[in-house]
Amino acid sequence: MPSPTGDQISKSLFAERSEWSDVTPLQQYESLVNPLAPIFYTEEYKDATDYFRGIVKSGEKSQRVLELTEAIIRQNPAHYSAWQYRYETLLALDAPLDVELKLMDELAVKYLKTYQVWHHRRLLLAHTRKPAPELEFIARSLGVDAKNYHTWSYRQWLLAYFNDEDDLWRGELDFVDAMLTQDVRNNSAWHHRFFVVWGCGVREGEEDRGRILKRELTYVKQNISLAPNNPSAWNYLRGVLDHNQVLYSIVFPFVRLYTVPFNSERTDIVDLENPPPDKDANLPCPAAIEFLADVYEQDKNKESTLQAVELWMSLANEHDTIRKKYWEHRIREALEATKV
Amino acid sequence: MADQTPLPALARLGHASHCKRCLDGLPDSQTDIDASRLALAFYCIGSLDLLGILKDATPKLDRDRESWREWIWEQQTRGRCGSGFRPSPFMTAHHPPEEQIECTDYDSPHIIMTYTAFLSLSILRDDFSRLDRSGIITFLRACQREDGSFSTVPGSAESDLRTLYCAFAISCMLDDWSAIDVDRAVSFIATCRSYEGGYGQSPYCEAQGGTTYIAIASLFLIPSELRTSDPLTPEERQLTIQWLLRNQDESGGFRGRTGKEADACYCFWCGAALKILGASDLVDANSLATFLARCQFKYGGIAKAPGEHPDPYHTYLSLAALSMYPPSVANNSTWRFEPLDPLLNAREETSQWAKKYIPARQS
Ligand SMILES: [Zn+2]
Repeated sequence: MPSPTGDQISKSLFAERSEWSDVTPLQQYESLVNPLAPIFYTEEYKDATDYFRGIVKSGEKSQRVLELTEAIIRQNPAHYSAWQYRYETLLALDAPLDVELKLMDELAVKYLKTYQVWHHRRLLLAHTRKPAPELEFIARSLGVDAKNYHTWSYRQWLLAYFNDEDDLWRGELDFVDAMLTQDVRNNSAWHHRFFVVWGCGVREGEEDRGRILKRELTYVKQNISLAPNNPSAWNYLRGVLDHNQVLYSIVFPFVRLYTVPFNSERTDIVDLENPPPDKDANLPCPAAIEFLADVYEQDKNKESTLQAVELWMSLANEHDTIRKKYWEHRIREALEATKV
Repeated sequence: MADQTPLPALARLGHASHCKRCLDGLPDSQTDIDASRLALAFYCIGSLDLLGILKDATPKLDRDRESWREWIWEQQTRGRCGSGFRPSPFMTAHHPPEEQIECTDYDSPHIIMTYTAFLSLSILRDDFSRLDRSGIITFLRACQREDGSFSTVPGSAESDLRTLYCAFAISCMLDDWSAIDVDRAVSFIATCRSYEGGYGQSPYCEAQGGTTYIAIASLFLIPSELRTSDPLTPEERQLTIQWLLRNQDESGGFRGRTGKEADACYCFWCGAALKILGASDLVDANSLATFLARCQFKYGGIAKAPGEHPDPYHTYLSLAALSMYPPSVANNSTWRFEPLDPLLNAREETSQWAKKYIPARQS
């Protein structure tokens, strides 16, 4: 099944091609009133969609319909009816879906931000049920745009859809680790890590949740020590503790290191549980101050509340002034709560 | 931080003419709007509404309003699965206008377009006498899926939180929730919640500002008599507020995801979610306006970020954000807007019109 490139399509209109002469093109409905936001279509688009309306009316589902819908999609990847009709034609013809997927490899990268490209792919995969090569393809797409929302969603959908296939899941943690090594601030990768470890069932070899919790705490602390001002890592830390219903005080000694200016005396002791910030780090770190205040607040006694208030004041007045109103609100609420 | 710097004027006329130009026609480079034209029209008409331009009673404006209404009503179609609005006649073959044709599966009503048509017609103060209410109920029912979510068009597997919000907003405007299974929809929303405190587009997805607004607005749209629990627990509410507020960066604008750049549309999505959660007084409104001032395009319209090209989507959402977050430092009246209903995403007065005229009449 040769798939024409965009150039070949624009060479000749469907109206000029003898093999299409048996199809009656149908022009788009033209309103009697002034249309809102009319699009000044190209001749090629008008031509292809005229023939498409004709095909839909006749109900034809043949090889040439694949050519026609591809021509439309290349001019308007958001044309959901062309996608839908294409999909139904593929099934009706019992067409080789791996060929279709190959074409999609090209289109997905070209129209990375179009919902339909990814939706079509999901439909195909639900049929082929061969998810393994997809992981490789997704990794390549993320090479083009490492934070693309559709690409990551597709990976999460794929893994969840084939949740029982342990082989599919086996390399996932290494994959996330590689993505985070590339860019430790990639929140999509942190989110994916949460999904893999905590969000979608327990994998083989990870049944001992206490061990996994420890492993993840070590992982996130190490990453914070490399780049302390990374909100994604702090959110992950908080997420892991919340998910496992562990009190924040468990990370108190670690968090405190990041709330004060760099202390050169402290680096002599190598404490793997509490990796210290690098001496070039930009300290104190507002996310750490916020976290430490939350640790104090969880204590729910007057003395620790006052310590939290002091930290919030430093955020409001110095380290995070854009959220001044918010920190002042936290102070009011906490003081109110201790009064009662 | 720009608390002391006076704001430049908001170029209201420029933004209005950007939207009017788009309503008049779009170049072929925007062919990808073909399958969502009605939504684009809503962002244009909505901008004019927020800017207060549709209030005038000139003969030219009366004619415009009339023909815009007519065109929108032309998009109301009826098919196998009920009635609703299609994006445009992009899949409709030419036929005599007086001939009523039943739409095919490839030209069917679209749930997002139906929501934007309701709002656009309310902005244009239509009386909704032509609305096929029972057809809409049938259509909504056909769109809800097993997992509680909604598809864009009946029978399609394309579904996410956006369509769920549209189903809720339509039910709210109709004052009729009989078409949908609210409990199932609510449990779908819950599966989209992320550890960060925001919501993703689908289950397991990363927290994102737009879908977080969608989730929060949906939960708060549910009438109290259909609610089995509070929309959020106090802990959830706190975490969501925190996450939303942290999305406001040093530029004053909001970003859509942790670690990304600020973008004008998220000033609305995050700002409106905060407003619904009762936390709007915690937002730094002056910095927000400073950012949006910089997103203004020299020749009209507002872009997603400074230096980018404008579009009606970012123009509308920026103006809607300013309607909720008026800057206190503005020394000129160009920044003043009327209040906005954050749940339906329309000017308060427009939202009231929708709720008055869209429900079936008690006869
Ligand atoms: Zn945007």
